[in-house]
Parts: sequence; structure tokens; C-alpha cells
Amino acid sequence: MNRKILFYFLTVLLVVFTAACSNDESSDKSSEGNSDAEQTLKIANDQEPAGLDPHKTPAHSSVRIYSKIYEGLVTFDQDMKLVGQLASDWEQPDDNTYIFNLVEGVNFHNGREMIADDVKYSFERIMDEKTASHISSYFSDVENIEVMNDHQIKFELAEPNATFLTNLTNSSAAIVAKEVVEENEDLQQVAVGTGPFVFEKWVPDNSVTLVKNEEYYVKDEPKLDRVEYFTMKEEAARLSAIRTGKIDMTTLTSKSAVLLDKEKNVDIKDYQSLEYSYVGFNVEKEPFNDEKVRQALSLATDRESIATVVWDGKATTTGPITPAMGDWAIEVEDEELYMRDIEKAKKLLAEAGYPDGFSTTITTASTYADMIDTAQLLQQQWAEIGVKADIKQIEWGEYIDTWSNTSADILIGRNGSGTDPDRAMNYFFSTDGSANVWNFSNADYDKLVEEGKRTIDQDERKKIYDEAQKDLIKLSPNLLLVSPESYVAVRNGVKGYTPYAHNAEDIDQTYKE
Amino acid sequence: MFTYIVRRLLMLIPVLFGVSIFIFFVMRVVPGDVAQTILGTDATPAALAQLRENFGLNLPLYQQYLNWIGGVLTGDFGESMRTGKAILPDILTRFKLTFELTLIAAVISWIISIPLGIIAATKRNSKTDFGLRIVSLLGVSVPNFALATVIILVLSLYFSYSPPVGYVGFFENPIKNLEIIIIPAIVLGTSMAGAVMRMTRSSILEILRQDFIRTIRAKGAKEKVVIFQHALKNAMIPILTIIGLQIGTLLGGTVIIEQIFSLPGLGQLVLTAITQRDFMVVQGSVLFIAFIFVMINLLVDLLYSYLDPRISYK
Repeated sequence: MNRKILFYFLTVLLVVFTAACSNDESSDKSSEGNSDAEQTLKIANDQEPAGLDPHKTPAHSSVRIYSKIYEGLVTFDQDMKLVGQLASDWEQPDDNTYIFNLVEGVNFHNGREMIADDVKYSFERIMDEKTASHISSYFSDVENIEVMNDHQIKFELAEPNATFLTNLTNSSAAIVAKEVVEENEDLQQVAVGTGPFVFEKWVPDNSVTLVKNEEYYVKDEPKLDRVEYFTMKEEAARLSAIRTGKIDMTTLTSKSAVLLDKEKNVDIKDYQSLEYSYVGFNVEKEPFNDEKVRQALSLATDRESIATVVWDGKATTTGPITPAMGDWAIEVEDEELYMRDIEKAKKLLAEAGYPDGFSTTITTASTYADMIDTAQLLQQQWAEIGVKADIKQIEWGEYIDTWSNTSADILIGRNGSGTDPDRAMNYFFSTDGSANVWNFSNADYDKLVEEGKRTIDQDERKKIYDEAQKDLIKLSPNLLLVSPESYVAVRNGVKGYTPYAHNAEDIDQTYKE
Repeated sequence: MFTYIVRRLLMLIPVLFGVSIFIFFVMRVVPGDVAQTILGTDATPAALAQLRENFGLNLPLYQQYLNWIGGVLTGDFGESMRTGKAILPDILTRFKLTFELTLIAAVISWIISIPLGIIAATKRNSKTDFGLRIVSLLGVSVPNFALATVIILVLSLYFSYSPPVGYVGFFENPIKNLEIIIIPAIVLGTSMAGAVMRMTRSSILEILRQDFIRTIRAKGAKEKVVIFQHALKNAMIPILTIIGLQIGTLLGGTVIIEQIFSLPGLGQLVLTAITQRDFMVVQGSVLFIAFIFVMINLLVDLLYSYLDPRISYK
């Protein structure tokens, strides 16, 4: 009897389980519809996309995908010059007004023509508080958007803003279709844009598939039929997959790039990234409220050895604007605070009232080996001037919390300097800057970067930022360390691909041989 | 027995209720802010506040809990805060993979461990026994992430082989599915085998010392009959206990192995959700895992009575 009941129980359990598991989503059904004869590019990424809504998702793992699906009004060319994308051209009747002429005959992936109403809708969605968009502040100066006709639109700003056009190049300033948003409530799981690739499916923690936009308005682009992004968090797995040709392309750390040196079938492409590593101080807290202490730590820091040890020499000393930003960046090698000088550092510490140094804690994220290595090097270097630092490694979620609440005395981190100097200067360090979590406030500096934002003349603007960069290095609310190179490993058969700092994953011209 | 099963199933209610309260409040106490994690450094305080409001995080805690548990009771686990994806279908899809992986790993481990455990017990203190004990100790002590990484490296460097990328389900493409699953299953299986083999050995040794075995032997039974019909069956209870615990743990997510082999299983879901502070996903998955764990234990208890008729549930 007992056995019978047991048997029934097991059967019921099995049936329930099978039923529960079989309510699979239909999106999984077409898995292997492609052969390698097709132009299919397989890319392995280290992170899973966080969602596909361009207006709501800043995560790079998402941007690299939705930037192939959506487009904006303007973009950067390879030399980081502004060129039109969905806007064929634009004029500026006065400093506060921009009129964009839209490219005609551009269709969304659902077949409907993209017109000026869509542009207006997209920017209103970004600026609507309810959307909670991460880039709403980029367009806070926009006062009025007016549709002139189906292919012409006017933006009026409250005051001149030199960053307006560069902000439009941001992948998140994408033009979306109203009916798709309304039908799905948001765009995290669907994507209908005007870009070269059409979203096909997303299998969580596994892959995202895009297919060629057959009606793309740019002639002969894209060349690929399919792009498959695979999430492979483990670097060893990505290395082995590119060695054996299971994938065509992947990003790598400098440590792994070396391991592929001898591989005949794999090319390593490197480029100077827009990222930089930094030491952030809570400038309200003793002893870091004293500028001299921060300067002393800068003088005790050997940036060259950070480049050599942490990044295998593949990194450049940087100021707040990274060298990849070209002319905007100043030469920092000659800056007094960048030349290591232990005696001078000790003297400054003594003047600040710490002749024997002090004890402190460096906080960093356990997720990133380079941040931990940087912290350990600084610990050794600062010990030479009597600063005894403990290192505290915290988990990523807690790290972000610590960053936004300024709850650490010293935080090691990495930032992207963006594509306009305003981001690097205003946004991270002005008193009202959204990412100024350091409690740093300096009236002269604020005035200078505000002027930079409002000056349209590029030469004038450059002079302002040159001065602001020098000021910031002296004020040292952060110690800017080095800007690393980034690496992409590519199989030999992949042609027409060159990574740039501002568009490392441009595959519009890419094809396979 | 029927009433026993019903009673055990009823006991699920307070257990799951307790787990739901625990995980809900733990996620609220852990430092970290889902809005900041999602919107990154560029968001204004207003956007962050708006996002928290959209998630209902400004409501009083008890109300948030009631909203959530009310949904769960009607089978609606909510949506991921990060990706907007419905949680329960995602959990079930991922559980299929984790279930398959665990099952294959378990079978591999039994194939290795039970015969070897029997051999080690019957040849006690011989060279074979020592050899096998060392092997089993290695199985227990070599961490499976190290073994996994070594296997990946050796296969790609010396045999130019790596498993296919992009997971496919068993019913979509069984061959590709097995090719993807087999190496992780072997890694998990061998590390499970060590403990099971040691338990098999000591458990059989213990049984072999008992009077009834001496009686059976005195009656002239063949050694094969003694071992397989009498000793092994009686030795199964502790072995089953350890297997049950192992399987329960693995079904809760084979986190590291899934990460190394890029498998979209339950472990990956929980891990990503924890680092991103995606409360809803963590809560839903933990509740689901607790449910599975309790069910596996119930199953093991029921199997006891099958193996040893003296154990009966009333």
C-alpha cells in the first residue's frame, strides 16, 4: 500500500514539474536557423544586458546592443567630428536655437516612416520625470521642441549650451516609436528602432540576436546578416572560445591579451579608452579637507608604476580629461603634482599638521582586479610619507552605495570621461554636478566650467577647459591616475572592423571572409 | 503514508512563509540601492527618486511585503526591476537547465562513487582501498571551479576544443545540449563523488560487521549476494541522506559552474540579481529554491521507507 502511494506521489510530482517547466516562451524556438556560410558575427561579452530601453538603461552591456538598433539625430565620425545620422543637416539661427532637417524615407523596423513627431516624442519621453531617464539632465536646458513639418524640427534652449550637440550623440538619446512604447509600457524587452540591425530575440544570461535591417537607408550597410551576442562572464571561457573559433570577437583585459599573442588566428586590436582610474576623497572629512594633504598624496603617487604594474604598461597618465579626447586634454606630465617628490610631499603633510603621517582606509570594489591592484600599490607608495592605509574591498552593490553616499574616506574607482569636456569637468566636480559625490565645492572652479558650458566658440572653450583642468589638478578633489588601453580580440576572418574610443563596437562596415 | 505526505506538504506553508519574511527583510537591510545601480552615475536625484517610486520602494515596508506576497500567492512573482522580465517564467526556464545539470552530475557521481565505495569497503586496508581513499579525498578537496578552469584551458590549448557557445535546451537540440552540459556535469559529478564514495565505504563497513551479515555468510551465501542484496541495501540510508543534501544544494544553483561555463541557470539569475540589488528577483528565486529544497528532503524521507520497510510514516 505504502509503495503504491509513494508511486502515485512521485508520478504527480513529475507531471507537475514537467508541466511547470514546459510553459517555455516561444521566443526560444528558432535557435539554429543560420549556417556559417551566412555573414554571422558572434561576439562574446562579459556582462548580460540590463534591459534594452535606451532612455532608461545606461549599462554598457545594454548600450553596445541597443546602439545597433536605435539611432539619434547626430553622431561622431571616426575623427570624433559631429556628423548627421537621422538628421541630414542642421542650422543654428542663433545661439539658443537648433533646426534639424531629417533624412527622408527612413523607416522604423515595424515599417512605419520615422518623422519629426517621433523625434519630439522621444525627447519628451527622456525629459518626462515619470520616465526616470538617466540622461534627463542632458537636456534640462531645452525649453521648447517644435515640429516644423514631417522632416524638420526645432529645439529652443533657455540659454546657450555648447554640450547640446554632443549630448545628442549619446546612444541613449535615441529616437523611438511612440506606438511601440505605448503597446509595451516600456522598451526593456522589445526594441524597434531605425538602425542597421533589427532585434530578433534575447535569451536571458545566454544570447541576444540581431538580424540585418534589409531596408536600411544607408547604402550597402550593414554587411553582416546576423549578429549574435553571447554572455560569457568568465574570461577563461571567452579566451578558449576565441581560440577555437567558436566566437569571432570579444573584449579582454590586458592580462589576457598577452596570452593570445602567439595565437595565429586571432588579432588583438587595442585603442586608448575614454576611461580613467582615480582616487576620490571625501573632502569634508579630516584630514582630506585640507588641500595640502591631498596634494601630498598626489606627490607621493607614482602614476608611471601604476601604468606598468596594474596595466602592463598599456596605460597613459591622465588628467580629468583623458588623452583619447584629443585636443581637449592637456599634457599632464609637466604638472608639478604629477612628478613624484617624497620630500616635498612630507613637507606639505607637516604644514598641514601631520608631520608623522596618519592612518586611513582605502575602499575599493572586489569585483575589479585593477582597482584592488591600484589600491595595493598606493598603500605601498603612500607608506613612504607615513600614511598607513588599510584596504577595504566591498561587493559591487555596496560599492555603488558607498560611492553615492560618500561614505568612504578614500575611494578607488574608474570613470568614463565622456565625449564632451563638460562631463569630465562640470558633472563630476562642480558643486551641483550630479556625479560630484566628493562634497567638493569651489566657487571659482564652478564659474569657470559654467562658462565652458555656455561658450559656443570652440577655441575659446578650449582655453577655458585648459585652465579648469590645471585648477582641478591643483585642488585635487580626486587624484586622476591613468587611462588604460582597451582590447578587442578578433578572429582573422573578420574584416572592416576598427575600434575607436567613442565607438569601440562599430560593426556597420564589418564582414567575414 | 498519505496523511504523512499531506502533513509534510502542509508544513511547507510555515517554512516558506518564514523564508519569505526573512529574505524580504534581509534584502532591505543590505546596503545598496537598486535605482542607483540601474541608472548609474548620470542620473539626477529626481530621476532616482522617481525610479524608486515606480518600483514602489517608497511605500511602508509592511505594505511592500504584502504587495509582493499577495502576488506570489496568486502565482505572480512580479517583474525584474532591472530588465522588466516576468520572474516566474524566467525561474522555471532556468530551473530546467539546473535540474538537467544536477541530474546528469548526480548520475555520473553514482556511477563513479558507489562501485568504488563498495570495492574500497570489501578490500578494506588493501592497496586498492588506500588508493581509492586518496582519490576520493582529492574529489572532496579539489574545488570544482579550479577543476573547471583547468579543463577549459587544457581542452582549448591542447585539443583545440571548446564547448559550443549559446545554450540550447534539451528538447530543441539534444546533441548540442548534451555537448554543452557534459563537461560541467563531469566537473560537478566528480566533486560530488568523493563524499558519496567515502560514505558508501564506511556505511558498508559498518553493516558488514553486523550479526545478520555473519548469519547470512554462515548460511553459505555467496559474497556477491551478501554485498549487493543485503549490505548495500542496508547501507543506503546514510548514502541517500548525503545524496539528497547534495542534490538539494545543487538545485539551488550551481553558481560557479554556471558562471564558468556560461550556462543560463538558476544560480546565475540569483547572483546577478544580488549584485544589482534586484530585490524582486532575489526574493522570488530564494522562495523557489527553498520550496525545491524542502521537496527534495521529503522525497528522501519517503525513499527511506522504501529501502527499509521498518521505517513507516503514519
